[in-house]
Amino acid sequence: MHQTSNEFAPASQGELQRFVQENNSGERLAIYPVGGRTSLNFGRAATRPGSLVSLAKLTQTVDYPVRDMTITVEAGIRMDELAALLREQGQQLPIDVAQSNRATLGGVVATNASGPRRYGLGTMRDYVIGLTAIDAAGRMFHSGGRVVKNVAGYDLCKLMVGSLGSLAIITQLTLKLKPLPESTVLLWTPFNTFAEIDSALNDLQESSARPVVLDVLNTSAAKHVSAEARQDLPCDGPVLVIGLEGTARETAWQVEKLKDELHRKQPGEIVVTEDEPATRLLQALTEFPTASDAPLTFQAGLLPSKTLQFIEQATSQNIAVQSHAGDGLVIGHLPDMASSVEQVVELLKPLRELACNGRGNLVVLNCDADWAKDLPIMGEPEPGWPLMQQLKKALDPHNILNPGRFVFCEST
Amino acid sequence: MTTQTESPGNSIAAELLDGFREIVGDEGLLHNADELLVYECDGYIVEKKSPDVVVFPTTTEQVVAIVRLCNKFDVPFVPRGAGTSLSGGCLPVGGGVMITLTRMRQILEINLRDRYAVVEPGLVNVHLTQRLKDTSYHYAPDPSSQGACTIGGNVATNSGGPHTLKYGVTVNHVLGIEAVLPDGSVVELGGPAGAVGGYDLTGLFVGSEGTFGICTKVIVRLTRDPAAYRTLLGVFETVADATQAISGIIGAGIIPAALELMDQGIVGAIEEAYKFGFPLDAGAVLLMEVDGLEVAVDEEAERMVKICNEHGAREVRRATSEAERQLLWKCRKQAFGAVGRLSPSYCTQDGVVPRTRLPEILEFITATGQEHGIRIVNVFHAGDGNIHPILLFDERDQEQIDRVMKASDAILSKCLELGGSVTGEHGIGVEKIGFMDKMFTAEDLDVMADIRLVFNPDSRCSPAKMLPTAGACGMEHIERDHPGKQAAS
Repeated sequence: MHQTSNEFAPASQGELQRFVQENNSGERLAIYPVGGRTSLNFGRAATRPGSLVSLAKLTQTVDYPVRDMTITVEAGIRMDELAALLREQGQQLPIDVAQSNRATLGGVVATNASGPRRYGLGTMRDYVIGLTAIDAAGRMFHSGGRVVKNVAGYDLCKLMVGSLGSLAIITQLTLKLKPLPESTVLLWTPFNTFAEIDSALNDLQESSARPVVLDVLNTSAAKHVSAEARQDLPCDGPVLVIGLEGTARETAWQVEKLKDELHRKQPGEIVVTEDEPATRLLQALTEFPTASDAPLTFQAGLLPSKTLQFIEQATSQNIAVQSHAGDGLVIGHLPDMASSVEQVVELLKPLRELACNGRGNLVVLNCDADWAKDLPIMGEPEPGWPLMQQLKKALDPHNILNPGRFVFCEST
Repeated sequence: MTTQTESPGNSIAAELLDGFREIVGDEGLLHNADELLVYECDGYIVEKKSPDVVVFPTTTEQVVAIVRLCNKFDVPFVPRGAGTSLSGGCLPVGGGVMITLTRMRQILEINLRDRYAVVEPGLVNVHLTQRLKDTSYHYAPDPSSQGACTIGGNVATNSGGPHTLKYGVTVNHVLGIEAVLPDGSVVELGGPAGAVGGYDLTGLFVGSEGTFGICTKVIVRLTRDPAAYRTLLGVFETVADATQAISGIIGAGIIPAALELMDQGIVGAIEEAYKFGFPLDAGAVLLMEVDGLEVAVDEEAERMVKICNEHGAREVRRATSEAERQLLWKCRKQAFGAVGRLSPSYCTQDGVVPRTRLPEILEFITATGQEHGIRIVNVFHAGDGNIHPILLFDERDQEQIDRVMKASDAILSKCLELGGSVTGEHGIGVEKIGFMDKMFTAEDLDVMADIRLVFNPDSRCSPAKMLPTAGACGMEHIERDHPGKQAAS
């Protein structure tokens, strides 16, 4: 982030709209929308000073028709507050987010954050069915609606998910919800080698179980997660974590099936956690991306079949690695020895190559602000980059929203 | 395919036709008036307009060359798949060039380990799932027209289907797209590892109804087959009882794989056609399917049976074999085919209401049918709140068409009043363009128009679709090039 000159927290969506409109017809200062400020270091360094616009006061529940299993809320609601509201009705938004006691719904949508259960339950794009946002000129626009199925108009919800506040300020969201499962179970088992895990993952494609989590941790990440979960889990080798949700009968049946299937792969001890310990373990897995003071944290997305090779390379570089391996997503914390930007560039080089060869990319989630300008923070440019720049120009022609931080265009 | 001389009055320049011939050969071209008739409408038969020429490319390069030629001659063009869409999405408003993609139908890659397939846009939806037979994977979106509709067309309209209740619609299963943009450039959006950086343009492109360009390749996600199914048929005395049962099931936190309602009118037609043994005196039947682990499906099925009984179900039958299950689904998916037994023409609406408002909208539909003297039967995706009232009429009678339009308008307006949408899966096309300013504010439409201009600055690609505002540009263009060639309105 860039140093900002002032901060503004509107009390209503209308007040925010007026602020943005006045700014657009006046000085056109930069606007940096923020929610819980958990991801301020995600994205490139800002290019000019401006106002922090906090959505913290926009927390109203607009409509919660419980039996329709949808909810409409303002974007500033904290993820833990939202979860509590839904839990009362036996429902959930199954997006695992780190620091949910700070992170806001709008921020999570803007950063497209996800966690372990994305393998079985999807990501934000699968849950946002309606949205209100304000573009740089102060146009308040809507997309989608409040029903679970709707194809009227262009799907700007998809465009806004992961747009990092660079196109418009998200002020209100309508979400599709899921029932809370009766039971959550996590299986934790170390293997001798990454190749063995790869082979186990391959077999799991045909498993009679239907996991919602397929995470892989290298030893250093496993130790970290085990400690955070306050559980003495075996960490004598890379660990495979399999998560299950459903009725108690469903998860119990799957646990037996999985033990059977895994034993053929000769893993180490298989630890089964249920109830509160399982919740704590899932929480520790969810917090992994932010629970570190590592000099740099990255996220790579690549084909699931190329993921173990990537983890092995990263492990050889002393990087603590968690992977949502079923989806080919890898999060890594660089070791403390990476103390200069030159070293970081060297460390990331082979990983970038592997990510790109795996039809994917590597982005930096968090690093020293001074390094950001010298690193390809958002990874290799996508083929759609020129279109993205034009979209940015269409909604923010004067480069007011998060200038320089994500997709950018020349200020006009 | 023909090589006959063009029909009199055809406004396409001979030079342009020669250009197309060079690209796709005579066998890839239709321009004889008789042959063009097939292409004058899709499943929405109220408005018709023949294109001036239909071109059948077989490669992305040919699509590029065709689009460039259209631009050079300043002629509008519209992509088309199998033409099964139901709101005039591929109607060639103003004539021009129709680019039909049904000859690009290869499955280019299947990767089970990484759970994706790369297909050409003209591939028929069910052909992918058929190819995946015995792999324990399938392609989840299953529109009722899946035996004919193409995956490219599904991308354009963001198609749904009965099983999207649990598995999501097309956009939830598209990882990447190759598209020829309206300027003739080729762009890859997303990829097999999903969107990996920048905006989710794949998600934005899906459902853009052919107004952002022509999709030439689709990377789709593959889904594990469920281990087990239980397929049930709930028989109810009245539609109201059935809709209350639906509300009860969803409200209880059960997400069945499918939940489909068929009323007495449609059941009669289906029974006549397929002889399943549906009760003809029942007010409505509910086709319900749960899927998942063998150990779980019976329990979930029991819960649904209980809820149905609580809401006055006369009986709940179970499909006892895979053959019976397939027959039930055949009846449901080919219900529209059976409508021919009821009426010479029909118009299907596609409104959505919050699922707990189904009883209200169904009552309203009945009342509206009576008010306008139009017979309406219902078969729809009840679990999603996505209604499909089928309005029966005779298209030879303009007065009937007018009444159908009025009744449709009333039903869709009611959906909006109940907090819903005018389209759940068929798209806006030309049919519902008049509803856009009822559903969206001027600013919403303004923003959408700006976004469309990024992809389609001259509105030469699929003009006059989706947006009433952005269409204006395209319409002027058409009036200039093809005076008097507007679609019937």
